[in-house]
Amino acid sequence: MNTTTLKRIFTQYKILALLIAVALIWIFFNIKTDGGFTSARNLSNLMRQMSITGILACGMVFVIISGEIDLSIGSLLGLLGGLAAVLDVTHGLPLPLSIAVVLGAGLMLGFLNGFLTAYAGIPSFIVGLGGMLAYRGAVIGLLDGATVAPVSPGMEQLGQAYLPPNLGVALGVALFVLACVLAWRQRVSQAQHKLPVIPMWRSAFRVFVAGAVLYGLISTFNSYEGIPLPVLILLVLLGVFSYIARQTVFGRRIYAVGSNMEATRLSGINVKAVKLWIFGLMGLMCALAGLINTARLAAGSPSAGVSAELDVIAACFIGGTSMRGGVGTVHGALVGALVMASLDNGMSMLDVDAYWQMIVKGLILTLAVWLDVATRSSSR
Amino acid sequence: MSGYLLEMKGIAKRFNGVPALDGIDLAIRPGECIGLCGENGAGKSTLMKVLSAVYPHGSWDGEIVFDGQPLRARSVRETEDAGIIIIHQELMLVPELSVAENIFLGNEITMPGGRLNYPAMNRRAEEILRELKLPDVNVVLPVKNYGGGHQQLIEIGKALNKNARLLILDEPSASLTASEISVLLEIIRELKAKGVACVYISHKLEEVAAICDTICVIRDGKHIATTPMPEMSVERIIAQMCGRELNQLYPTLPHPVGEVVMEARHITCYDPDQPQRKKVDDVSFTLRAGEILGIAGIVGAGRTELVTAIFGSYPGKHTGEVLIEGRRVDNAEPIKAIRNGFALVPEDRKHHGIVRDLSVGENITLSVLGRYSHLTRIDGGEEGREIGEQIRRLALKTASPALPITALSGGNQQKAVLAKMLLTQPRVLILDEPTRGVDVGAKFEIYKLMLELAAQGIAIIMVSSELSEVLGVSDRVLVIGEGRLRGEFVNQGLTQATVLAAALGQHGAP
Repeated sequence: MNTTTLKRIFTQYKILALLIAVALIWIFFNIKTDGGFTSARNLSNLMRQMSITGILACGMVFVIISGEIDLSIGSLLGLLGGLAAVLDVTHGLPLPLSIAVVLGAGLMLGFLNGFLTAYAGIPSFIVGLGGMLAYRGAVIGLLDGATVAPVSPGMEQLGQAYLPPNLGVALGVALFVLACVLAWRQRVSQAQHKLPVIPMWRSAFRVFVAGAVLYGLISTFNSYEGIPLPVLILLVLLGVFSYIARQTVFGRRIYAVGSNMEATRLSGINVKAVKLWIFGLMGLMCALAGLINTARLAAGSPSAGVSAELDVIAACFIGGTSMRGGVGTVHGALVGALVMASLDNGMSMLDVDAYWQMIVKGLILTLAVWLDVATRSSSR
Repeated sequence: MSGYLLEMKGIAKRFNGVPALDGIDLAIRPGECIGLCGENGAGKSTLMKVLSAVYPHGSWDGEIVFDGQPLRARSVRETEDAGIIIIHQELMLVPELSVAENIFLGNEITMPGGRLNYPAMNRRAEEILRELKLPDVNVVLPVKNYGGGHQQLIEIGKALNKNARLLILDEPSASLTASEISVLLEIIRELKAKGVACVYISHKLEEVAAICDTICVIRDGKHIATTPMPEMSVERIIAQMCGRELNQLYPTLPHPVGEVVMEARHITCYDPDQPQRKKVDDVSFTLRAGEILGIAGIVGAGRTELVTAIFGSYPGKHTGEVLIEGRRVDNAEPIKAIRNGFALVPEDRKHHGIVRDLSVGENITLSVLGRYSHLTRIDGGEEGREIGEQIRRLALKTASPALPITALSGGNQQKAVLAKMLLTQPRVLILDEPTRGVDVGAKFEIYKLMLELAAQGIAIIMVSSELSEVLGVSDRVLVIGEGRLRGEFVNQGLTQATVLAAALGQHGAP
């Protein structure tokens, strides 16, 4: 009996289980590194490392929910990051123009992937595999096989700047107010639609947790240098992508297409256009991640983003996105990204051999999906 | 000895605390055929899943005695070894494998060393198919080469090969033609003569009455009555199933028929797999406002192909013209057809109708979601009001619109799909087998709704394999046979025999 209730809780609050897993990982590394892991400096660093995987996961979670996959994103990140470096270093383009060109190119290449998948009817796995090779080849050609450096100080800021602490506090307060408003509106709308309103203490508890998390995050960041710019971008994307998923027509259609494409088509929805835009967004995220990656390294490297797609896809699956499509959340994928980043960071701190790191990450991915599958089948 | 092959005593099963079965008893003698009747959601399938150990021993309460021994199977494999074979409503064949390979799937005959003994398997498969009156099936060809009806019989062949002692048939005739059904019933009679017991589950009560010795009716998970068939009639079965006498199966409502709204001209569809073969061959017809046009014909006659071609969802090449009020329209894609005022409720609800991972409400608003979106954001309140209105209008039974669509019974899922298409405000509503897998009560409500829609001036095309339904609600009947228009009848004094004769191409249709 006890195990079934436990299982039910896990199925219902999958995200809670994931957060517990993150906490366990953190505690483990913290003990092993004598508190070094949870130092403000390291956590700030960890979140910055995670931001690239996280940004890509925002795009990838939509791709997977719609029942597709995109293996080309690592190479695409490399190509677009390389393009950013070439525009900035070799051609000396003004920063806003470089950013615009790179984002535009990302969107276009994303559309190309989407066109080949949705309109030409090539399975996305193949399109991704082809893109993985072709885009990697393109970046090696573009950079002539060498690292292009150093990028302009302006571009460097994109990956390495921090939000001043007082602005960080203001942001935290604003987000807390937003959490209060959202909780209140949820109650109002539940009452309006005559749905059972969740108990007051649970709303209060949620707001309290949100407040505690915000306080913890911002005070940690502020006791180092402030919120890193890439982390800020990731937080904004979390908001935007969650909004798209839950509140917009396009978001609803992503889930519908992934769950039953034929029924969605017969309902008069242009399923090809939906997929085209999903891949377009994915390309855009590759551009953003490529820019930040180049800024962080202060250089364009032909090997940037190699096997990034594996981390990103793993993050989505750890975060509860369904392989067969139709199910998944943006915040889940980001927690998945946090798991992967924590493992990377902690094991590097412990000087674990690279081969062990790979083995552990592989095992964690398999274990996470196994748990997911096991709890899901028991709930039927 | 009780003389029973199988006794199920006090079977109870709960899902998350909600009782689905509440103390059901069922007993079957060797060679007996029991008709298990009940509305959708009554618990028939659950009971059979308990029996075949899809729900393993321990996940339900009660006792099963099979052949004098308590049966505590924990997997389907164990019940199959005991001789209990279930044939599911959905076909469980592997389309790419050959007929013989399918019949022996999981049961292969091997030679020493593990190599498959194809000659032996093919020979045995041929014998089985001869018994099934399917001598024209080539056992080495892939199953996908044969139509739905043949596949259903091949599935039964698979069961025969396992030496079934108790055969459970769940809606076996859903995709069978009249002649295939008579073969099926003949096979069941032969099996009975050999001492094999059967549980026959079907919404087609005429078949149940024809083949079963005993009728067991369950309702809301409870056992209602077990009665020998000679004391029963179709009317009494229906009365027991619904708990009330259904005086009329078909409602009536006067609905004036207006001007011609739609015209289909020379519709021809080609088989996507064999481009020379025509699935529909030059069919033309007209449709008037407020008219219900029934399209009858045997399964595989090309009816679904015809209506999907009109709606733009036919997967293969097709030619012909569709006109609305004399104006030619381009229905190349469903999205265009919907804009032109067409709506289609597809035959295959599971694959083409519902979106599994969305809620009831989200399914209903899927086709017109843009209406509730202002500045990118969906207005949840506005959407919720519309969903509530549709749920009331169609008397859709759901505890909440936020429930997953899969939690509903077939009839209510069908109503949700219907609501989705009605929101597009169609002028021509195409219903492909609208009551397939829908229980008697919900059927009546769907017919009533069709009549109300017709009274509002919507033109309705209804494709149906149930002749009594076609004659019960249509104003006019088209009969399709082998892809051609075989007859057109005004539904006044029209008999099933006339329609059936036309469908089968007997004595010169007009």
